[in-house]
Amino acid sequence: MTEFKPLTYDALTIGEEFVSDTMLVTPEDIDTYAFATGDDHPWFSGSSPFGGPVAHPTFAANQALRLRHSRYVVHAGLHAKMQFEFLEPIRVGMRVRSRGRVIDKYERRGKQYMVTEFVTEDEAGIPLVRGQFTQMLIPA
Amino acid sequence: MALASTLAVGHELPPLEKELTQRHIDAYSGVRARSIHSDEAWARRKGFRTTLAQGMMSTAYVSEMMTRLLGAGFVKGGTMSVTFVQPVYAGDRLTVRGVVKELRPEGAAIRVVVDVWCENQHGQKTAVGTASGVISS
Repeated sequence: MTEFKPLTYDALTIGEEFVSDTMLVTPEDIDTYAFATGDDHPWFSGSSPFGGPVAHPTFAANQALRLRHSRYVVHAGLHAKMQFEFLEPIRVGMRVRSRGRVIDKYERRGKQYMVTEFVTEDEAGIPLVRGQFTQMLIPA
Repeated sequence: MALASTLAVGHELPPLEKELTQRHIDAYSGVRARSIHSDEAWARRKGFRTTLAQGMMSTAYVSEMMTRLLGAGFVKGGTMSVTFVQPVYAGDRLTVRGVVKELRPEGAAIRVVVDVWCENQHGQKTAVGTASGVISS
C-alpha cells in the first residue's frame, strides 16, 4: 500500500527513487499521441526500418515525468528542462516501465526545483530512453 | 550518403507549425481536476491567464522535426536537451525551427547536431536547446 504525501521541497530527498507502473504500448495509445502532437509519421502505424510500427521517440516521456506522482500528491509544477537519449525504439506491444532518482534539488531566485534522472526500459530491462528533467515546484 | 552530402552547418530545417488547442492538450496530458493543463479555473488560481500546454509537447515537436530530417538515426541514437523559457498557452501557435550547428564524426557515422527552438505567434521563444542524431557518412 502506497502512502501519499504532499510534494514539498522539504519532503524531497536527494537520492530517493521512483518506479512507474508498467504500460502496454498499444496502437490506440500511439494514435492518440499522434493526434495530440499532430505527428502521424507512417512508421508509427505501419512498417518501419525497425520491423513493425514504433512509437514516437518521446511517447513514454510522461510516464517518466509523472514518476513523482507514484509517491506524492503534486499540487502544481512547471517543467523547466528536459534531456533525452533515445537508445532503442519503443515498439508496439512492448510493456515499458520508467525508473527515476532525484539527483538534485535547489532554490534559485525564490523558486524551488528538483532534478530527476530516469530510464525507460522494456520488460527485459533493456534501456530504451534515458535522460533527466528539472521541474519547478509551485507551492500550495 | 545523399543526406550527408546535402547537410552543412547553417542548414535551416523546414519549420513546423503547430496549433495548440485545448483538445490537443487534453489528449496529451489527460483531463484532470486541479491541473494547470486542463482546469482553466485552477490555472488562473495559480497565476496563469489560461491553461498551459505541457512543456513536453514541445519536445514531441522537436522530435518530429528531427525524425523528418534524420529518420532512423534519430529514433535510435538521437538526443535532445531543451530548456522551457516561456509558458505555452492553449490557443497558442508555435513554430518549431532548427539550424544545423555541427557535423561530428562518430565512429563510421556522422552526428548531426541541431540548434532547435520553438517560438509563439508573438515571436517569443518558448523552448530552446539542441537535438542530434546520426547519419551514415
